[in-house]
Amino acid sequence: MATRALMRGLSGLRQSRAVTIAYSCGGHQYATAASIKTPQPQLDDVSEKVLNQALEKPDFFRLSELVSLKDLFDARVHLGHKKGCRHRLMEPYLYGCRLDQDIIDLDQTKEHLQQALNFTAHVAYRGGVILFVSRRRQFGHLVESTAKDCGEYAHTRYWQGGLLTNGPVQYGPGVRLPDLIIFLSTLNNVFQQHVGIRDAAKMNIPTVGVLDSNCNPSLVTYPVPGNDDTPAAMELYCRLFKMTITRAKDKRRQTELLQGLSAPSTPSS
Amino acid sequence: MAALCKVVSSFRCGVRLPSSRFIRSSFSSDSSGASGSDQPASDRPRSGFAAAFDLQSELRREAEGSAAGSRGSSPGQEESFASLLRRSPLIQMGPAKDKVVVGRIYHVVQDDLYIDFGGKFHCVCRRPADGEKLQRGSRVRLRLQDLELTARFLGANTDTTLLEAQAVLLGPVEGREGRETQNQNQNQNQD
Repeated sequence: MATRALMRGLSGLRQSRAVTIAYSCGGHQYATAASIKTPQPQLDDVSEKVLNQALEKPDFFRLSELVSLKDLFDARVHLGHKKGCRHRLMEPYLYGCRLDQDIIDLDQTKEHLQQALNFTAHVAYRGGVILFVSRRRQFGHLVESTAKDCGEYAHTRYWQGGLLTNGPVQYGPGVRLPDLIIFLSTLNNVFQQHVGIRDAAKMNIPTVGVLDSNCNPSLVTYPVPGNDDTPAAMELYCRLFKMTITRAKDKRRQTELLQGLSAPSTPSS
Repeated sequence: MAALCKVVSSFRCGVRLPSSRFIRSSFSSDSSGASGSDQPASDRPRSGFAAAFDLQSELRREAEGSAAGSRGSSPGQEESFASLLRRSPLIQMGPAKDKVVVGRIYHVVQDDLYIDFGGKFHCVCRRPADGEKLQRGSRVRLRLQDLELTARFLGANTDTTLLEAQAVLLGPVEGREGRETQNQNQNQNQD
């Protein structure tokens, strides 16, 4: 009881302190505590034009021509696990179950994959840091070489607990965390959900995840229902992500060059 | 069996065609009456083999005509997922127990051969006593037992899966056999 009175007193103190700060800020009735003001990056005209140009069209990078239903089918993306391994929340993404084997609906997969690739392309266009994560030992080398080829990062080894949540302590102050994490397999080696999904959600980092029929799709920002066990399917995903990121980066270089060429000719206001 | 499926599936999509087209173009079949052109399909007094023969020959002619015309026009966007799935060898095969398929060895670890036959998982077979010539890339015949080894253990919520298929190795594919009429699951990575 004494502690409760103490807490109430403390909260009252905190409020009054906040109130005094608010008053000193010009009389607005904000109830927020004094926070660290992050400096807004001042964009000049050219880079703003470059960034806004990408947002004009829905498929600015023309990624719909990369994904075709036949390619997904031939890479066996539609094959899921057996009925007994199914996760309850993956049921909306399944086309059906054939002789106890779940079949993933490729129409939905194609849409989700296009959205995920589009988001990846926009992140890469804006110079974001992309991290590929997969704990499947069979495809570790493939994922690492994909990341190396497109100039991004990969983490296919044991995930230490505080990698994202304790980043400044583990890696040093001012470390830059990834802007997008792509999970090519959302399970770890004991068939539990990868810790990185939960941590990325905690740190407000968007995730793209390839979900098989035994995975939990809840926390993934851009889920892509699909097979993650067959080498053909994994090679397809890696190839698609690599092409998307390379395309986006090339487009950025191209747009900057064009804007840079056109800027001196137009009179600046 | 593949030919039978093709005819059956074209029959199924042929039923959706408007009946007038069917009647107008049945002039060429020898036993049809020319008077049937204005009547709806339900009034035509065709029965049994004659009706079936007319329908099949008409559909086959149309399928050949449309296939020749449309293959060049739109690349790869015609088939829906449902029709791709229905015609895929995996579905046409049926239950995997005791089906003979052709696989390809993609990894070798001393005596263990990792064989991919076109399913979701690979299977691992021990090298037979006379299997010295079975190396990475050789094609083998398998008798499948299971596409994925799973079991529900006591106290578990979901099945535990081994991420492997089970098959019995029958031997290398002999000579240049081409397409066998037995249910074969061609390896989709090859060719």
